[in-house]
Amino acid sequence: MESGKLHYKDVNSTFNVDKPYKSRSKPNYPGHVPLNAFEKLLMMAGSSIGSYLHPERNEFIVGLGESTAFTPVLRRLQRQMLSDPVGRQILRERPRITSESLDLDYLRLLPKNTIGSAYIQWLDREGVSPDTRVPVRYIDDEELAYIYQRYRECHDFYHAITGLPIIIEGEIAVKVLEFTNIGIPMLGLGGLFAPLRLRPKQRERLYGIYYPWAFKSGLNSKPLINVYWEKILEQDINEFRRDMGIEQPPDLRELRRKQKKLPEPERENAN
Amino acid sequence: MWKAVRTLTSRATTSQPRLRDVVIIGGGPAGLSLLAALKSSRVTRDLQCTLVEGGSLASVQNFASNPPEEYTNRVVSLTPKTIEFMQEKIGNWAYINEERVKVYDSIVAYDSQDSDSRISFDASAIGTGTLAAMCENINIQASLWERIQELNMTSDVPAEIMDNVKVEKIQSPVEFSASEALDELPDLLEVDPTDGMSELDWPIIHLSNGESLQARLLVGADGYNSPARKFAGIQSRGWMYDRFGVVATIKLCYEDYRSIGWQRFLTTGPLAILPLRDDNATIVWSSTPELSQLLLKVDPEIFPHLVNAAMTLEEVDLNYIYKLLEVDPSDKSVLGEIEWRLSKIKLLELDSKYPLPVRELVEGSRARFPLKMSHADTYVAPRVALIGDAAHTIHPLAGQGLNMGQTDVAHLMAALEKGAKRGMDVGSTLVLEEYYANAWPGNHVLLGVCDKLHKIFSTDFTPLVYLRGFGMKTLNSLGVVKDLMIKLVSGN
Ligand SMILES: Cc1cc2nc3c(=O)[nH]c(=O)nc-3n(C[C@H](O)[C@H](O)[C@H](O)COP(=O)(O)OP(=O)(O)OC[C@H]3O[C@@H](n4cnc5c(N)ncnc54)[C@H](O)[C@@H]3O)c2cc1C
Repeated sequence: MESGKLHYKDVNSTFNVDKPYKSRSKPNYPGHVPLNAFEKLLMMAGSSIGSYLHPERNEFIVGLGESTAFTPVLRRLQRQMLSDPVGRQILRERPRITSESLDLDYLRLLPKNTIGSAYIQWLDREGVSPDTRVPVRYIDDEELAYIYQRYRECHDFYHAITGLPIIIEGEIAVKVLEFTNIGIPMLGLGGLFAPLRLRPKQRERLYGIYYPWAFKSGLNSKPLINVYWEKILEQDINEFRRDMGIEQPPDLRELRRKQKKLPEPERENAN
Repeated sequence: MWKAVRTLTSRATTSQPRLRDVVIIGGGPAGLSLLAALKSSRVTRDLQCTLVEGGSLASVQNFASNPPEEYTNRVVSLTPKTIEFMQEKIGNWAYINEERVKVYDSIVAYDSQDSDSRISFDASAIGTGTLAAMCENINIQASLWERIQELNMTSDVPAEIMDNVKVEKIQSPVEFSASEALDELPDLLEVDPTDGMSELDWPIIHLSNGESLQARLLVGADGYNSPARKFAGIQSRGWMYDRFGVVATIKLCYEDYRSIGWQRFLTTGPLAILPLRDDNATIVWSSTPELSQLLLKVDPEIFPHLVNAAMTLEEVDLNYIYKLLEVDPSDKSVLGEIEWRLSKIKLLELDSKYPLPVRELVEGSRARFPLKMSHADTYVAPRVALIGDAAHTIHPLAGQGLNMGQTDVAHLMAALEKGAKRGMDVGSTLVLEEYYANAWPGNHVLLGVCDKLHKIFSTDFTPLVYLRGFGMKTLNSLGVVKDLMIKLVSGN
């Protein structure tokens, strides 16, 4: 009886279609937090500043993602998925990638050349788990929310198939790949602004090697969002890269190690 | 031998063509309307009139006594103005089978890129209670036929209708008037100087039954390819739209008490569902040549769902579904795809913002017509007048083609009555010029508006999509502009 309302069904409620979501109180899917335009703007501004100052802090990156992944961008992703049989299958079945949905022990038993094996190796090497991804909360349309969730959950697979680590340069390179491949602008923003805070050596590697690689692979490959990862865990990873049109970039950790061993004078010249 | 006979007959006929005051080529809605109007008017009813139609009018004659069970697929939207003209001036409305006419009072048009961009017209804005009425072409033709029979019973000079007779050649006894047209269509216009024996300047019309007529006034109501227009050497300008109009008769889930005509602007062209009586409706689906072909061959069980999808789903879904159907027009998996995507739309929204679902396609009712826009430079030449599609063809998105033909008839009748009252020769340019002066500008505006509408809506170029969305929303709220558009569509 709060707010003086009686608990009977308002017979007119079915006709009041013009203004369905005025108040915050009606989430469109479990976990949804409806925001108004002003709040969205605030959140975007706040997380942009936050992720520039603290690129290592996850909540800013996530917030920036959700607030910059405005509807048109997600709609484009949706169109990409709806144009493809596998994309449609994913949207219909709505698979989730979690440590429960994936049998990680089984993945460890797969031959080394498979996608599943590369994925688990990458998770183990980086010390992360599928559950590190935070659920989507601020996107209004439930299908778009799922699409964004799916994109996030697949993010680790992009690292796995490219072998790029989650240290800042690797992250940026993967984001640029994602930007050119599926076009979420956060990745574009992250890719452009984040290098300002890199050391010169890191920046050089990015501009010289990883940007060209990411642009080339991203633009030439088929949309990664339409990959049903769960169904191709046993597939050969090289075959997959070939099918998708993605080249494997030079190993970043390897490169860093080698460059650290370079003789002193050359390093000075480079600066 | 054969050649000898032919020259013989042609000599026999050309030597003595039957003289007529008015010869109308074409038994479509425009031609029959003019004939009935001429015979209804006190001033012109004694003119000797002949109408020549190349096809058969048997189904038109039988319609009154034995109408087909299902609606035929050529259905047009008649404006209140056309109906009034038919009631008061031609008098054929009394013979219309009104049980097959559906009056509707509003149109809802919306954009495929953004279903909230919508505009709705309703009749209250023009104060008539009727926005327009859906009526089969054949119902109109049959009512005109009945009206002409009625008039003939009491007339001293009955109208003459010949069907299954084609106009094979039109000839001018005066050499120069046809010289311009000669290069356009030589076989129809062949000028044979030795045949110019008549002192009259009336055109001679050679018929496929061997007869020939000589007309004080020749009226071309002979459709887009108008032989009369070519004879008169009148240029027609325009273009093909590279689109086809696919028409079909369909059954809705149940009768829609709302009486709304729905139109959705897809990038392939507009799709309209227009109400008929009971649960019947007719569709006009403007589409690319490839899509139109697909629509004609899609499994009849899938077709209704495809219409539902096209009225509701996003273009990305439609394109995906078309692709599946191109591989296999009977691919039943599209039904699941459509159902799934429809389930994403809230039920309330489906009920209030979209037409009722289509249940069934009436067998054999699918057909397609090439869409074009064309306008003749003038409607008149010495002893020649053009009416209906012979003078102009228009994109069907605003349902104006046949109505424009009725306006032509009204203006031509006014000019002829005026001329006849003053004792002038009804075939003279002096009389005819007035028809052209009154009919052409209005048609020109309508043609332009519909052409622009088509072009604006057949794009998915994003800035334009936003712009037109903005346009639709503001149009809908701007009372003045909206009223203007309604008046255009409803012919007031
Ligand atoms: C898909 C579609 C939907 C439409 N929807 C609407 C609508 O909602 N509202 C509306 O008002 N209009 C509509 N129209 C337009 C309307 O159908 C036409 O404008 C109308 O039928 C034209 O009538 P008409 O008598 O001028 O020409 P036609 O109907 O084309 O008649 C011409 C006649 O001339 C005859 N003919 C031609 N050459 C010769 C010859 N050499 N000898 C003898 N006879 C000849 C032909 O056999 C034909 O019967 C639509 C058109 C299409 C294609």
